[in-house]
Amino acid sequence: MKIKAKIKDDVTEVKLLLDSPMAGKEEAALKKIEEDYLTHVTAKVGGKVVWEASTGPFLSKNPYFKFEFKGAKKGDKLVIETINNKGKTDKDEAAIK
Amino acid sequence: MQRRKFLSLGAAAAAVSVLPVGLSATDFRATAPKAWEAPSSREAIEALFGSSKMIEGQIQIKAPKLAENGGAVPISVKSKMAFTTIAIFQDANPRSAVAVVESEGGISDMTTKIKMRKSANVTVVAKGADGKLYSAVQKVEVSIGGCGG
Repeated sequence: MKIKAKIKDDVTEVKLLLDSPMAGKEEAALKKIEEDYLTHVTAKVGGKVVWEASTGPFLSKNPYFKFEFKGAKKGDKLVIETINNKGKTDKDEAAIK
Repeated sequence: MQRRKFLSLGAAAAAVSVLPVGLSATDFRATAPKAWEAPSSREAIEALFGSSKMIEGQIQIKAPKLAENGGAVPISVKSKMAFTTIAIFQDANPRSAVAVVESEGGISDMTTKIKMRKSANVTVVAKGADGKLYSAVQKVEVSIGGCGG
């Protein structure tokens, strides 16, 4: 996944590009692949959840999110955790610039 | 026998603890499973928020009037208010719910990309800090469908 986090006046803007085919039931059948989509995405700073999303297969392939949150400071680590429909997790982090 | 029983119990408990027990406070897929199966936005919204009483005019949806690629239609949600929850629904796919976003600190601006295999309405429902529900609808025309075909 790709994470970009930039802070300006206490507001951290995050651009997030996740890795997943986001294939739901119909799409998986059509492409003859297994269902594979993210079901939850969590953003944490210092162990505290600052943003999260419950997701389904109708987000675009390799889902993109742009969001903002307050309360972090420059240099803090933003940790992104994802889980898919089969329980497979992924984790990545980036420093807030 | 007793020992065997105990061991098997232990194994079962270990298996459970290995399962990712929700990464967060609210997993809307677990708390409102029906919302993710609902074919229409109206049903999905009722299943997720337990109400269909909405206040309109507080949310702006920025979406292309004509999306060329239905596989990734950019949807932006903006408001002067800060919401604790923002949910995106569409009526272009077999099921309506796309994503439910939450932030304790409040969300007033977000963007994501969704799949739409035909032209349809995109509905955004947001829950304010006051506990009230706010909504907005935007029609999006899609020239090439994006649900894998």
